Amino acid sequence: MTTLGGATFFYVLRRLAQAVPLVFVIILINFLLVHAAPGDPVDFLIGSMEATPEFLAQLRAEFGLDQPIGIQLVKYVLKIVQFDLGYSLRFRQPVLELIVSRLPATMLLMGTALVLSSVVGILLGTLAALRPYSKLDHAATFTALAGYSMPVFWLGQIVLIVFSLHLNWFPTQGLYSLRAPSEGWGRIVDIAHHLTLPALTYSVYHLALIYRLTRVKMQETLALDFVTTARAKGVSEPRVVLVHALRNAVLPVVTVIGLNFGFMLAGSVLTETVFAWPGMGRLLYEAIQARDYPVLMGLFTVLSVMVILVNVMTDVVYAVIDPRVVYR
Amino acid sequence: MLESGWGVARRGVLRMSGAALAFGAHHAHAQGKPAPRRGGTLIIALEGEPGSLTAHLATDTAALIPATNLFNGLIGLDLNFEPTPDLAETWTISPDGLTYVFELARNAKWHDGKPVTAEDAEYTFNEIIAKVHPRASAWWPNVAHAKAIGPNSFEIKLKAPFAPFLTMLGSQLGAGALIMPKHVYLGTDPKTNAANQRPIGSGPFKFVKWEKGNFVELVRNDQYWKPNLPYLDRIVMKIAADPASRLLAFERAEIDFLHWYIVPYDQVARLRKDKRYQIIDSGGEAAATNGFMLMNVRGGPLQDARVRRALAHAINREDIRAKGLFGEGKVAKSPVSSGLGWIFTDKHDYALDVTKANALLDEAGHRRGADGKRFPLRLAWATGRDYEGRAAEIIKDNLRGVGIDVTIQTFDRLTFIDRVFRNWDFDLANQLFTTGPDPTISVTPRFHTDQIKKAPFVNAMGYSNRDLDALFDAESKQLDRGKRAEMWRSIQEILMRDLPALPLYEVPIVQALSAGFYDVVTGPQGYIENRERAYFVK
Repeated sequence: MTTLGGATFFYVLRRLAQAVPLVFVIILINFLLVHAAPGDPVDFLIGSMEATPEFLAQLRAEFGLDQPIGIQLVKYVLKIVQFDLGYSLRFRQPVLELIVSRLPATMLLMGTALVLSSVVGILLGTLAALRPYSKLDHAATFTALAGYSMPVFWLGQIVLIVFSLHLNWFPTQGLYSLRAPSEGWGRIVDIAHHLTLPALTYSVYHLALIYRLTRVKMQETLALDFVTTARAKGVSEPRVVLVHALRNAVLPVVTVIGLNFGFMLAGSVLTETVFAWPGMGRLLYEAIQARDYPVLMGLFTVLSVMVILVNVMTDVVYAVIDPRVVYR
Repeated sequence: MLESGWGVARRGVLRMSGAALAFGAHHAHAQGKPAPRRGGTLIIALEGEPGSLTAHLATDTAALIPATNLFNGLIGLDLNFEPTPDLAETWTISPDGLTYVFELARNAKWHDGKPVTAEDAEYTFNEIIAKVHPRASAWWPNVAHAKAIGPNSFEIKLKAPFAPFLTMLGSQLGAGALIMPKHVYLGTDPKTNAANQRPIGSGPFKFVKWEKGNFVELVRNDQYWKPNLPYLDRIVMKIAADPASRLLAFERAEIDFLHWYIVPYDQVARLRKDKRYQIIDSGGEAAATNGFMLMNVRGGPLQDARVRRALAHAINREDIRAKGLFGEGKVAKSPVSSGLGWIFTDKHDYALDVTKANALLDEAGHRRGADGKRFPLRLAWATGRDYEGRAAEIIKDNLRGVGIDVTIQTFDRLTFIDRVFRNWDFDLANQLFTTGPDPTISVTPRFHTDQIKKAPFVNAMGYSNRDLDALFDAESKQLDRGKRAEMWRSIQEILMRDLPALPLYEVPIVQALSAGFYDVVTGPQGYIENRERAYFVK
């Protein structure tokens, strides 16, 4: 194994520095896209009864929505550089506060799903590659294909009907029980209980993807000469598979896991809505419905930064796994 | 239905505790309900995150549900839309219908222990409602003053008589007039005061926690000024945005109450048969709502009233009720709700008659072309209420039969509002309008010429009839209820003859409650009302 040298450290710094202008371009594009969408946030704010144009104009002025779009953009960028993401129109509180309050729930759900889908996907993929066209392989491939094709909102409903309504094993909604909230360990068990179905539903697509990729790459790698050589040298089979082959095969899988991170954030909108999970995905959904520009912009910015960070991290993981990768 | 006339000097005779409790007990006995008991947690579903926990910033249901439990109004409404005591125990109206004096409960206290006084009411109306409530501009300009005239006496003086004034004040949706603490808001911006998120009210329940995106928790106010109330220990409002999983949560008793319009109509028949649930077909009358097909009368074939009448004859509204609403609700036969029995008339409704529709279209000069078609129309609807989409499909199908080629346009809610109410870029549009608790509040703003404005939920049709405007203007000042009813029947006749909007259906009021809960819905605002009388007996 290589150790991460100073070169890698500087590489990471350079990548992060390069990300800064990228973030600003993203902010600009997001700003224009968000404001180009039809619909007026003040219509949502007033709710279900009529209001006079004067009142609507007053609301618009209050939130600075009456100013030319260029001025709004400049003001927004000036605030962003001070780490001020603005004030939510719909929730009437600072956007940063709002996002931070929703972050833990999403991280819990996403982290669980990411670990679950990666570990199980790589494991199953490896096993299937070792016994290609076996019953296990066929079963896993079929399941993966199904998992890959099922939309999350549909799968979520089916899972709820089977495991919640009929079998009564799991609750349908939320982070923990509201009727009789427990404390301490009881709370942790309660949260795990509530987490199971959304995390499973959320994992399926990624698990299928990682399984398929691992299987193909492992099969390719196992057929390579160095594996034959290792076996010929008398290296034990587990060592051949886990150390020699898997380490090589897993590289593209790591890339996909990193790339998937962005898609997982997008997928959290559906999962969190179906399971009433109080995370960022739900926030994004409600912000879109209300055309809450500051929250939308804030979320997009935070998500972009997260995706960029994960990409940098993926590169670092590369260097750790593959000694051939050297950053200068 | 309503005997007492407006404008008669009247003293609210109900002393809150005694009379109301007696009513509750009688009611319980009549339906064989168990006696009220202390304890229990009620979990109410919210369809989205509330904007705040108060009523002054918006008219969204998700905010009103917690707000009504945290605060008290001056008055409430009974099932006849007559005022009932809340913070105001009694009130008098001067014979000219201009001066209203409310006597507030002397023992009412804020959750922080300070007494509720007329000063709070004065501050709430002048500094909060008048300045920030979305609907205040509809009625506040008619207020001469609102002021405390004693420690517990509060007076509102109007410039011109306004017949439904008390009905409007008692309607949370119409006025948002929940009394707020002056000592908490004084010198702050009522839009951003932190108390909007952690309210200090006078109501039966106190604020505990708002976990954003998850739930709002309220706990029993042990020092509530109405004796022995409330019964429940806790109310939790659970934010559940997805309709299908929300229903599953209700079926698993993770949620106890699904309020009006978040119960999916296709499931009601099944839920009715299940003993674990109670289906309540009332408790939204004060916000009675009709589904309309709006018609843009500014140009094209729709500017001809004969064409609009032809559409009415061609559209099978019974079919929309049966297939769009799964047989719940009623066909709407007037722009006024049939629940307003004192004025409602269905005399001017249109029967399904395709031959007549064809004849009217021919007469209007829109003969069928060689391909059998007369002209195309666009029909817009907004996602979110499935039945509006199903109605659109049925309308398209019906109108094809008379040679009108309809293109359905589906938008998300805010895009729809932008197109229909701000840009007037539509031919036909499916839209709900409230018609209660009083037609002056809810019907007039949709059809008056003055309401042709680029703003949501007003007269987007561009319809103008000066005779009708004169009737609207006169009836709201008419304090004689009989004469007022007569005028409203004329208004309905004109609106059904000119037909700027075709009433399609009365949105069925259906709420779903877990077995064991009682008196969760007691009045015409049951979907958002204060749950001080709700109780749970296992």
